[in-house]
Amino acid sequence: MSNIYILCVEDEPEVLEAVIRDLAPFERVFPIESASTVNEARRVVAECILPKGKLGLVICDHILPGEDGVSFLVELQQDSRTVAARKVLLTAHAGLEATVEAVNLASLNHYIAKPWTQEDLLNVTRRQLTDFVLEQETNLYPFLTILEADRLTEKIRQAPLPSDE
Amino acid sequence: MTKKQMLGLGLGLVGFLVPWVVDLPGLNFTGQVTLGIFLMAACFWVLEPVPIYTTSLLVIFLEVLLLSAEGPLYTMSRPPTVQPAAATDVPGVWLPGATLKSERFVLIERAGTAPQQLEVEILERQGDQIRVRQANLSTNELVWTKPDHWQATYRPSSYRTFFGALADPIIILFLGGCLLADASVKYRLDRALTRLFLKPVGERPAMIVLGLLLATAVLSAFMSNTATTAMMMTVILPILARMPEGDPARIAVVLAIPVGANIGGIATPIGTPPNAIALAALQKAGIHIPFGTWVMMALPLVLITLVLCWVLLVRLFPANAKAVKLDLEGRFDRSSKALVLYGVFGLTALLWFTEQQHGISSNIVAFLPVVALPMLGVVGKKEIHALPWDVFWLMAGGISLGTAIRDTGLAQWMVGSVNWATLGTFAILAGLAFFSYFLANFLSHTVTVTLLAPIAITLGASGQAGSGFSLATALVTIAVASSYGMTLPISTPPNAIAMGTGVLETRHLVKAGGLIGGLGMILVLLCARYYWPLFVH
Repeated sequence: MSNIYILCVEDEPEVLEAVIRDLAPFERVFPIESASTVNEARRVVAECILPKGKLGLVICDHILPGEDGVSFLVELQQDSRTVAARKVLLTAHAGLEATVEAVNLASLNHYIAKPWTQEDLLNVTRRQLTDFVLEQETNLYPFLTILEADRLTEKIRQAPLPSDE
Repeated sequence: MTKKQMLGLGLGLVGFLVPWVVDLPGLNFTGQVTLGIFLMAACFWVLEPVPIYTTSLLVIFLEVLLLSAEGPLYTMSRPPTVQPAAATDVPGVWLPGATLKSERFVLIERAGTAPQQLEVEILERQGDQIRVRQANLSTNELVWTKPDHWQATYRPSSYRTFFGALADPIIILFLGGCLLADASVKYRLDRALTRLFLKPVGERPAMIVLGLLLATAVLSAFMSNTATTAMMMTVILPILARMPEGDPARIAVVLAIPVGANIGGIATPIGTPPNAIALAALQKAGIHIPFGTWVMMALPLVLITLVLCWVLLVRLFPANAKAVKLDLEGRFDRSSKALVLYGVFGLTALLWFTEQQHGISSNIVAFLPVVALPMLGVVGKKEIHALPWDVFWLMAGGISLGTAIRDTGLAQWMVGSVNWATLGTFAILAGLAFFSYFLANFLSHTVTVTLLAPIAITLGASGQAGSGFSLATALVTIAVASSYGMTLPISTPPNAIAMGTGVLETRHLVKAGGLIGGLGMILVLLCARYYWPLFVH
């Protein structure tokens, strides 16, 4: 099984640290990578994530030094290797225009407004990653302990079984 | 295509062709053709260049083409015949000399069956013509001019025999079992029962492992081992999240599922396909083991094995956690259709277990749910389409190959090439058990039993294995031993599912599976020696 990565893009170190700390329960199954600019994020995806696995979830701030977060999400949406990744915007100041662009061009999956609560972030992450593995993975058992077991179970029960006993 | 698959394809084709080219002493032509089919099927089943159930279908197709009375090989290679010419003024009829077999017999064509052999008195020879006397030989008969033709000693089966394996009574038994299981999954009876079984076990990890072993075994006695494992995994993996990371008991909990499923499959004729293959082979040999009798034979073995498995798992992977909370959801569905299902399930099971009292074969009883469940709307076309047809076809190929091996005399020939009498009855039984266990670790269990059943059948029928040899015991031993083959991730689909959870490493499976298999073999042989002969002869 190739790894499914979570990527966090955030320019303020304390905020990035807080996000990663909040997501720690997922780290065992979903390795977390981080970046502070779009340029760095692009490099992390190309050099650290794609050679070893898939990008499952991006949690991205909008206001970043240099290019903004939404344009990075749009870019991921246009690349066939990352189009399946679930895209979450975690921001305080995305204007209407940027948000509309994110929804229309990046198929934004969720918008979390700062400040966030850990519970909220965990729930969103769990739901988005569950959507990702339901869509992308054939072997769902490894995720039963950590993602939404009910939805995974339903899919497992409906899938044909290997039956050469 | 991997190297292994290429090897399988190559060996299979060579195996199929060799008996056509090489003349094997003591084996007739059709026996050789069957040997070719057998060798090819064995290579394909073992090395899997194509999915194993497709090999089964190919076996049936080749049998129809090459062995049946309606098949092209038989119909297109009929031997030439001649009509006797009437002799004028002298007794008898004229025939070509080539029609004579052993200087005394001629063969008369009989449509659709082997030729009739008539003894003739030779009255006169003139060149290559002979004049013979035989009261029943009129000038209307057709006499074979090649009496040593391969068809002379072969009575081909109708193609119905080979196609019929697809609806063999044992397949019907399985069909009934599968439909009941599918309906139970649809109405979540399996989950509700699991909850019922696990309620009394409390919170101690060791007791939870015992509860899981028993619950899985009970379910897999009626459902397919694979389906049971898949369902149980969805029950236990969320629970596992509450156990501390690195606690060895997590491994024991996950291992309990495939182990329970593999062992539980032994308990009933419908528990797993190998049991059915063994029963089908026995039925063809005229021995019927009722449903209840099988359960009586298997249950003590299953229970003792499960207790041993429990001790082993708890010892090998002792828990650090003192208590694990199980809060399982899942209630019994009380809709009217679910109630109908419970009724049909209960009635079918009751009739299966009381076969000896009412005398209706379990194969016939199995058709009750097949008729009742769709008719009463409990299941629909969706469930019918979702039945494991590949499993039925895999079994059918095995049943049909077994029939061909026996009917063409191939089994007789294979067994005759070993001097079994020197081995002793029990040694033969032990050999079959170990061979079955060994193969089952690498092959599909159904294929294992399919390959070994004809050998056992012939050993029994030929009397070569000594008078103490019980055919029924031998086949039960082979089938049961195959269920213990669970050392490797590839041994059975339940193992593969357990490995797929990511909680286990291969070494855990090898350690537990190997020990259980070894202990299991001892138990199986003890049963074969002292317990099973009480039920079957």
